[in-house]
Amino acid sequence: MKRRAQPWLGTLVDISIAGTSSEPDLNDVFTQAFAQIATVHRLMSFHASDSDVTRINRAAVGSTIEIDPHTMKVLELALALASASASVFNICCASQLVRWALLPSNETELPAFDGGTCALRIVDAVSVSKTRPVMIDLGGIAKGYAVDQAIAALHHAGVVSACVNAGGDLRVLGETPFPITIRHPQAITQAGAELELANAALATSATYFSRRSVGGVSVSALVDGRNGAAITSERSVSVIAPSCMVADALTKIVLASGNANHALLADFEASAFII
Amino acid sequence: MTLEEAQHAMFPQAGVFKAQPLDLTTDQMHQVEKLAGLPARSVRWRLFSAWQGDVLLGYVVADDVVGKYELISYAVGLLPDASVHQIEILAYRESHGFEIRNAAWRKQFIGKTAQSGLAVGDGIANISGASLSANHVTDGVRRIAAVVQVALPTLKK
Repeated sequence: MKRRAQPWLGTLVDISIAGTSSEPDLNDVFTQAFAQIATVHRLMSFHASDSDVTRINRAAVGSTIEIDPHTMKVLELALALASASASVFNICCASQLVRWALLPSNETELPAFDGGTCALRIVDAVSVSKTRPVMIDLGGIAKGYAVDQAIAALHHAGVVSACVNAGGDLRVLGETPFPITIRHPQAITQAGAELELANAALATSATYFSRRSVGGVSVSALVDGRNGAAITSERSVSVIAPSCMVADALTKIVLASGNANHALLADFEASAFII
Repeated sequence: MTLEEAQHAMFPQAGVFKAQPLDLTTDQMHQVEKLAGLPARSVRWRLFSAWQGDVLLGYVVADDVVGKYELISYAVGLLPDASVHQIEILAYRESHGFEIRNAAWRKQFIGKTAQSGLAVGDGIANISGASLSANHVTDGVRRIAAVVQVALPTLKK
């Protein structure tokens, strides 16, 4: 087992490759997998001044913005889930996170929170249009997509058994099970659950690291997309799904709804549990 | 990952890594603070230069950061112009430890290397949970980039 970790996507990304490949080859394989993560980071960072996300956020209302096919894939699922969940999942919540100082911004005027249908419309395969003032953040879905891309790169390089973990959102490549520990949401130095995972993704969302008080009000990095309120539940939600992007996004819907049997789970061949 | 492994991963062409520990002057510390927008924190830096023959490929600086929940050792590879080339985490530990509930269960995965290629070594691999921010590391990288940039004139001598 070889493990490497690098800081990307605002957290640490940890890649474990099982097997007996020789060291120089594995170095290239790690490089290829981390390059995929780096691409997603570059395109979808809220902080970078030239990312697709920032270009969308800075674009004038009514304009059409050209974006990378990777960003489009993430936006397609994000918009589909927003529609299917009646906006429980909502990427248009970034202005709330900026208000709570959980995301930085130089903008002097923040768009008001808008829980209606998303202010982005897909125009064609490489462009979206902006219908209202909006600030998007892909923090609830892009880590999962990055994990999927890294897993695809490992598979393409001939790796048969591996695990990619982007700050708690992870996916196992291959039929050999990996032992996974879920952090206990009320006792974060302890395991809340332990399970084996093979050929599947697992993502967990909770607020124990981001929960804080702003002006006497309890806030967190997770927002209920229907009303813009911070989710401050002390529970954690984990979703197992075929892809990590799906697992990552569905955790937010289950956490906001409190329903581990949410109807959308079955549509994506996913299952959830709440600790 | 050891520091040596990180050096070779960052500069695979390098034949030699020379230890060149840095001691910043007070004036250099001020310059670092101005460039990075962060306290310079330390006078002494663990720096290595990477060489292929007599060609300088870049630098590697090793550092540790302590967060509320974590202790992280990491290395930053920089090109000869002090731009950041690659970052590798060398070691990660939770500052309050992490309790394994079911050590026996986890043990069954150890030593499967020969048959399945799977072995879980020391440290807790693969915790799923809320994402911990890597702000301490990204701040540390920015500080190191400033340190090397400020020290470049002296390094090249």
